[in-house]
Amino acid sequence: MSSDGDNDDFLYEDEYDDEFDQDDIDSTSEPDVYDAMSPAMEEAPQKKPYDVSWKVKTLQEIIDMQNKEITKVQSLLEVPASSAAILLRHYVWNSEKLQEQFWNDPAQALEAAGLSPPSSPTTHTSTQPTGVFECPICCMEYDYPSTYSMGCDHRFCKDCWIEYLSGKIKGEGESAKIQCMESGCKRIVREEIIDDLVTHDISKRYHNLLNAAFVADSPTLRWCPHPNCEYIIECSQAPTRMLNQLVPTVQCKCGDDLCFGCGYSASHRPVLCRIVKLWEKKCADDSETANWLQANTKECSKCQSTIEKNGGCNHMTCKKCKWEFCWVCMGPWSEHGTSWYQCNRFDEKSGIDARDTQAKSRASLERYLHYFNRWANHEHSAKLDAEFYQKTEKKMEQMQNSGNLSWIEVQFAKQAVDAVIKARITLKWSYCMAFYLKRNNMTELFEDNQRDLERAVENLGYLLEQNISDTDSIAKLRQDITNQAAYVQKRHDILMDDTLRGYLEVSYSAGDW
Amino acid sequence: MSDARLRRVQKEIKDCAKDKTSNISIDMIDESPFHLIGAFPGPPDTPYEGGYYEVDIAIPDAYPFQPVKMKFITKVYHPNVSSASGAICLDILKDAWSPVLTLKSTLISLQSLLCEPVPNDPQDAEVAKHYLADRNSFNATAKHWAQAYAQAPAHKKKNEPGKVATDAELAGLSEENVVGFTDMGFSRDQVISILKKLNYRGNNVNPQSYNAVLEELLK
Repeated sequence: MSSDGDNDDFLYEDEYDDEFDQDDIDSTSEPDVYDAMSPAMEEAPQKKPYDVSWKVKTLQEIIDMQNKEITKVQSLLEVPASSAAILLRHYVWNSEKLQEQFWNDPAQALEAAGLSPPSSPTTHTSTQPTGVFECPICCMEYDYPSTYSMGCDHRFCKDCWIEYLSGKIKGEGESAKIQCMESGCKRIVREEIIDDLVTHDISKRYHNLLNAAFVADSPTLRWCPHPNCEYIIECSQAPTRMLNQLVPTVQCKCGDDLCFGCGYSASHRPVLCRIVKLWEKKCADDSETANWLQANTKECSKCQSTIEKNGGCNHMTCKKCKWEFCWVCMGPWSEHGTSWYQCNRFDEKSGIDARDTQAKSRASLERYLHYFNRWANHEHSAKLDAEFYQKTEKKMEQMQNSGNLSWIEVQFAKQAVDAVIKARITLKWSYCMAFYLKRNNMTELFEDNQRDLERAVENLGYLLEQNISDTDSIAKLRQDITNQAAYVQKRHDILMDDTLRGYLEVSYSAGDW
Repeated sequence: MSDARLRRVQKEIKDCAKDKTSNISIDMIDESPFHLIGAFPGPPDTPYEGGYYEVDIAIPDAYPFQPVKMKFITKVYHPNVSSASGAICLDILKDAWSPVLTLKSTLISLQSLLCEPVPNDPQDAEVAKHYLADRNSFNATAKHWAQAYAQAPAHKKKNEPGKVATDAELAGLSEENVVGFTDMGFSRDQVISILKKLNYRGNNVNPQSYNAVLEELLK
């Protein structure tokens, strides 16, 4: 995967210096009326070395981003807009690389991207021959205006074009890589042609696919994973190679947290994305779907898309990233050459390994269940959030009525609940982390922190469940809860600080997992 | 578009019948024009020469915008064809399909696939191993298969062995090696299946693989 790393370097180099822009964060945080009015209001969270900065973008902004790049390339290279778009998509929106290749050899750059060389006319509309034309696909005769050719001398009737394009877009979900219908012709079909030929619905879907591909191709963009949310997060501080040291939790405008690194739809701090994936796979082992996935699918070794092999040979081509690999050993196909059958040896060895692992896994099952039960318990508690909120709200009303406290003065309870919920999510993931952590001095420190936080959370939870019997006790309860909430917050920050800073300083090194 | 599909298939069948030079035939099996049998002679100067190969053709609903489905009915000993099911590994039947390709051009591609196997992209791993390990022995086996299974002079005839080839020959193994193990008391079927699996041919016949075979037999 070293070539991958190099690629990352190339893509991210200049974006690293992006300065942290406090306004961006402010604009993204959830507007909270309570916070604004509460006397004990927290200051805007200070940026820690392990935090990342990000922006939330709308779909329109994403479209504008593409158009800006297209216009730039269009004027620099003096090509039509749709050609600029095809060139940019071919060079994965890396305009420097595109320009370098283009000025080196324009004809070759155009050819590689699937465009006609500059000398040949792009359309034949002006020099259309007259008479009838028999479409080689549907074998019907047409007059020339009902046919279309992309300038690669392959002419077909418009009906066949429509059928072909609709099938590619609707059936196969292709967008930027739709080629000429002729066998072996690599010419890419331009945007305006597709818009002109297909129905409005399919054209809309085509543009959605193009935008989705743009976001998927860009390492600094990610769709918000929450249902019905159409925002896109932009973050340039969390490239793939940093994910061994960084847990880039961000918040979308829809109000929910997500992980920019892996797209997990909540915060999974302090656990690294890689470990979360391992953990989730492990936890899902019981479900039938997971069993099926395990038995029938593998992940593309380049883009991690889940792939089912439903026939044919072992030479696989990922539909998403076009990576070619061997299904048996998952290695790149290019390296196989004539030594293809080495894969069988690998298979035999892995067969023995598989039996070994099975024996080991039985022994480790107990250990796993220990951590899983605690993880699941916090998960369950966090799911009871809504109920806890309602209960607390009732209690807050009660306090306002019986204790003569003002609305502002009872907000401490809500803040305490927030602290509990936040801490529970972190605790939940801390058990996942503990499961994968190798035993050493750092582990002990980590488990001490975990125990302290857990105890603090339980205490605070207990206090929040207390009944408010008389007015005298309210003042004391309020004091206790406020203190305990502050303590929970502090323990929480310590745990986060220790682990997340630990990744950066490599005291919890990747080798420990 | 379904009439377009019908029109196109009918035209393809007609065109193919008119063309006498290519030696390729496409015929209907029953009433449906969307389930056909294609056939072509084995290419000259290959182990498949003299054989006659039948291919099952299923035309999908979205034809010609989706690739046609083809598999060999006649058994073929070839790295890119499954020796059990007749399934074919060929790019134009998958990603590289184009709507301008026809049934005839696809059958011609199959014919040239018989001339030029692509062992690095195998459908049948055991056959590919045989091909890479010992070309002469592979050619001999492919020829045995052609004689045993592909000599049907007309279509719609069951696979009847033309000339009796031994089971060892059909598996591409030397009789001597098979007898070496059966003499020890192992059953002939078991020996053949294990020798085939372990590619016990040509350079692979050595003391090390000999032990591997024994280990496998004693399991």
